[in-house]
Amino acid sequence: MRKVWAVIRREFVERVRSKWFLISTVLGPVFMISVTVLPSLLATRSGRVNHIVLVDEGGGTLGERLRTQLVGSGRFAVQLVAAGADRGNAVRDSLTDRVRTEALDGFLTISPATLESGMAEYRGRNVSSLRDMGMMEVALRQSVVTERLTRRGVDPGVVQEAQRGIDLKTLRVTKQGATGESGMVTFFLGYGVGLVLYMIILIYGINVMRSVLEEKQTRIIEVLVSSLRPFQLMLGKVIGVGGVGLFQFGIWTLTGYLMVHFRAQILGAFHVPMDQVSAFSFPVISATLLSVIGAYFLLGYLLYAALFAVVGATVTADSEAQQAQQPVMMLLVFSLIVSFAALNDPSGQLAVVTSMIPFSSPIIMPVRVATSDVPTSQLALSLAIAATTVLLVVWLSARVYRIGILMYGKRPNVKELWRWARQD
Amino acid sequence: MTPDTVVAIDRIAKRFSGHVAVADLSLRVPRGAVYGLLGPNGAGKTTTIRMIMNITIPDEGTIELFGDRMGGRHHSARIGYLPEERGLYRKMRVRDMLVFLAEAKGVSRAVGGAKADEWLRRLDLAEWGPRKVEELSKGMQQKVQFIGTMLHEPELLILDEPFSGLDPINQQVLRDIVVHLSRAGKTIIFSTHQMDVAEKICDHVCIIARGQKVLDGALAEVKRVHGGTHVAVAFEDAGAGAGAMAAVSDLVAAADDSGMSAELKLKDGVDPQTVLERLMGTHARLRRFERIEPSLNRIFLDKAGPEAVAPAAEVAHA
Repeated sequence: MRKVWAVIRREFVERVRSKWFLISTVLGPVFMISVTVLPSLLATRSGRVNHIVLVDEGGGTLGERLRTQLVGSGRFAVQLVAAGADRGNAVRDSLTDRVRTEALDGFLTISPATLESGMAEYRGRNVSSLRDMGMMEVALRQSVVTERLTRRGVDPGVVQEAQRGIDLKTLRVTKQGATGESGMVTFFLGYGVGLVLYMIILIYGINVMRSVLEEKQTRIIEVLVSSLRPFQLMLGKVIGVGGVGLFQFGIWTLTGYLMVHFRAQILGAFHVPMDQVSAFSFPVISATLLSVIGAYFLLGYLLYAALFAVVGATVTADSEAQQAQQPVMMLLVFSLIVSFAALNDPSGQLAVVTSMIPFSSPIIMPVRVATSDVPTSQLALSLAIAATTVLLVVWLSARVYRIGILMYGKRPNVKELWRWARQD
Repeated sequence: MTPDTVVAIDRIAKRFSGHVAVADLSLRVPRGAVYGLLGPNGAGKTTTIRMIMNITIPDEGTIELFGDRMGGRHHSARIGYLPEERGLYRKMRVRDMLVFLAEAKGVSRAVGGAKADEWLRRLDLAEWGPRKVEELSKGMQQKVQFIGTMLHEPELLILDEPFSGLDPINQQVLRDIVVHLSRAGKTIIFSTHQMDVAEKICDHVCIIARGQKVLDGALAEVKRVHGGTHVAVAFEDAGAGAGAMAAVSDLVAAADDSGMSAELKLKDGVDPQTVLERLMGTHARLRRFERIEPSLNRIFLDKAGPEAVAPAAEVAHA
């Protein structure tokens, strides 16, 4: 046991001491925030006004109504141009040129068909801005509806009232009652849980692989296996590297907790007004969720670390490792992709099934727990399956590992791996 | 097996996908011996050592260490092993790594640290302790690895090509340590193809060629039994030496000619005095003419060289 401890200690200390650990500990949250928050933040922030021309090929009063609506959104500066149906093509060509030379962001064409069948056309350089296009569509729909109703003689006051916006507030209800958490916050919590688990299992699994490969490449493995049993070495390595993962995760959790707890002071330091501070709503991470995350991190990490250890033990060169790790990576990536589906329907069939499969459950189940009420029986079954699989896979991996670490040259195929596993 | 035998190998064989690495090899290493495992490249030295260390398992035969068959890993704490393929953790600090290697042998951190410091000082590496392994020169790394095999004070040291790749100064340093350890009663097995080194420090040798033992025994006995009349000659310049060698060629059965000096095995019945007279007749100026025991190199060439038809001769154990 003392020897295993020496291996654990070495793996842990050497990693925590490295620059890589410092950088990833600091940059991890930065990366997480940038992939979850930044895109939406950027989309709302780009405050540029789009200069467009509204080509009216005989839409009647719709043109003026639409112009007012677009300008009112604050995102568009609109020049209204009337064009007879016969001049339509010429106007469109010259406008296309102006868009090409960037004198104009785009132009929107409406015609009598717009009122009749809802057809309109926009050509521009900014068509990929979902937010702006969404606004344009809303403005168009509202103007067309208002125009249609007004023409049928509906009172403008009634039309205006009918157009008033709807704001659906979504709040999550759990067994404990209403949480006051919005649907959005729950979504992001689930998203974050899935992503963190994926990242941490992947990063530390690959760390185990690299560590095995390093010992093989430097041939220090010969000295080690003449002193320790291969299983002791693998065990120490997996625990040591996993300890680093837990340590890093601990740092992130604590920092996150402190930042949420002291958010008033922190945001105050950046002169953010108090009413905006309290408008921020944060998910409450319950003790249950935290322990579920912890349990599945351990199970998932052990499972994948054992697989990655086998990959490291069966290859000789870095380039081979890149290839050989693909199947294992695929399992993880698949789990992450399914977790997005599970976010939308945490109690759906796909989510329930994948939260039972031991290779995807470490990511899917915590996501489900974060976003819905998972029956205790399902949780227990999933944990039991995962734990059994981990024991089996670790045992098998250790048997392949002990042979693989001393083999150089040609990569073994599955048949050979199986023979190694059964060999005495 | 006598209690004074540390390693007893009995008829082991190892095959790798069709080719025979070691065949029917038996040897005994007495306690306190400096045992040289000699042979050309690819003879099976490393494979034999790996089987002793439990890294590979022999297909046939048995290996006893310290009187039992528990294997090298079981006796790990009593054995120091330097593999042929040198390797260290490149990113680790030298001292930390040595302490780790000691811990892997079951030594406590405190004792391991003290031992590491002591040996680093002894090998003039003290200032490198806190540096990373990758900053060290190759020779220094080799010395560090050598230290790593000795920290737990093993009774048996198994060194695979310990001196290869070292400059003469560092070779001497390590050789001194081997001699020192031997005097302290440790048993040392090492493999090499450098016969001059083996001749200086071994008291027992085993020559392996093509996976088979060619001969083994105490060095003095091996030399005595080898037979033949051998003389060493040395010249003042290589040009004249060439002429002199040509003049005696009909008297010589085999010559190990290095230009400035040569070791000659005389044909049966040739008197060394005749050779000396012939040499005096040439214009070569002699620096040395001496009747000698055959050198290990000569024996090695006779037994394992290209011209040897490899009749496995076994010398009685001394």
